Amino acid sequence: MRLPKFEYLEPRSLKKASEALTADPKGTFLLAGGTDLLVNMKHGVIQPKRLINLKAIPHLNYITEGKDGLRIGALTTLHDLASSTLVQDKYPVLGQCALEVAAYTHQVMGTLGGNLCQENRCRYYNQSVFWRSARAPCYKVGGEICHVVRKSKECHSTYRGDMAPVLIAMDAKVKLVGWMGNRTIPLKRLYTQIGKKPLSLRKGEILKEIFIPSPSGQTLYLKWRLRGTLEFPMVSLALHLEKNGEGNIDRAKVILSGLGTGPLEAFEIEKMLKGVSLDDGVIEKISNQMVKEISPMRTSIASPNYQRKMAGILLRQGLEKFKS
Amino acid sequence: MKHILKLHVNGEDFEIFTEMNKTLLEVLREDLGFTGTKRGCDLGACGACTVLIDGKPYLSCLTLAIAVQGKKIVTIEGLAREGKLHPLQKAFIEKGAIQCGFCTPGMILTAKAFLDEHPYPSEEETKRAISGNICRCTGYVKIVEAILSVNENQ
Repeated sequence: MRLPKFEYLEPRSLKKASEALTADPKGTFLLAGGTDLLVNMKHGVIQPKRLINLKAIPHLNYITEGKDGLRIGALTTLHDLASSTLVQDKYPVLGQCALEVAAYTHQVMGTLGGNLCQENRCRYYNQSVFWRSARAPCYKVGGEICHVVRKSKECHSTYRGDMAPVLIAMDAKVKLVGWMGNRTIPLKRLYTQIGKKPLSLRKGEILKEIFIPSPSGQTLYLKWRLRGTLEFPMVSLALHLEKNGEGNIDRAKVILSGLGTGPLEAFEIEKMLKGVSLDDGVIEKISNQMVKEISPMRTSIASPNYQRKMAGILLRQGLEKFKS
Repeated sequence: MKHILKLHVNGEDFEIFTEMNKTLLEVLREDLGFTGTKRGCDLGACGACTVLIDGKPYLSCLTLAIAVQGKKIVTIEGLAREGKLHPLQKAFIEKGAIQCGFCTPGMILTAKAFLDEHPYPSEEETKRAISGNICRCTGYVKIVEAILSVNENQ
């Protein structure tokens, strides 16, 4: 599969990259690891006029720890993240989660920034030109229909990133750099929950740094997929619990991936977890709630019913791990 | 649009006049004739096109050739030194880890990068490392055996 023709830029600073991105925001795409972008280009679902390779920009690949937490440069690869002794010692869940992304080569190539900014996925969208030619173009490629939900007025493509749920559960923030200036927002707000435009980046904005506050509880990440490797999550769950001295839960975060147009927060379950002490009865009751809380669409080969069931099972497994 | 591409492959410098939108895989196979690097799925899902860039395994089908100028690229052709096979290549032959041979270049290069990082891996770690390389003959048992045997006697 040949890549379509494009103009190639290698700016040496984020400012220059942002300027180039601003000049033609619709036709310009940012390239970091390329494991998502080049596949989409080969499938013809995006047709960049210009590619900006961010990899030539120095000083964006770092992991440093300050008083208040961890700072990670957006171009840090998932492999570097998983291999970092600092991450392994103090933020082990981040390393474990990075190892859940695809396989070894993708982890070497893929960057944390790229992983967070990956495109939403759908079984009608991530297909070759030939495959897609049998149907009318869907919302995601600029058409007027959604093949997942026929009468829907919007795109239902699904967010299937691995890193975002864990980082959101850990209250991570992201620093965005643009020609208008910099801003720092909670990672949660990077996601619009709109299938057609999943990221809230403004014109010319580029993700520069991820900040994770010092851990104040326990976090774990569980991923369900058909094969034990390579695949995107069918359902995945990041669970963060902070317990008080008596073993009751003070604060809970439950973030899911693969079930909606962005990383999904299970608010009702978080409420139910607050103040309780984990025993078998509580775990049973709360994990049964998951089926009611989420409503996935059929954007992958898994049926929504199966995904709902598996999300509940993952939650039960997670809570059981925290019980002991 | 064509341009001059400068690549450092298997210890040699090459200047190639070629299209800008080519992947590293296309340049290696079509412009330089290093056909040991295989084109499988061409979408990053099979690992057959794996090459080493600065010692790390990269999927050459998802790497732009223009973006890796000035980096050290090693393909399967560059692994043997002075007519002597690399220990991994020897191990693959001795253990019978080659069936049709299509996945072998990718398997060996992924395994090389992995063994450079973890000289004495467990079986589980080895399986995880090559999990992105698909062997359609399904000869994984021998492949894992071969990789584990490389540093066994040292």
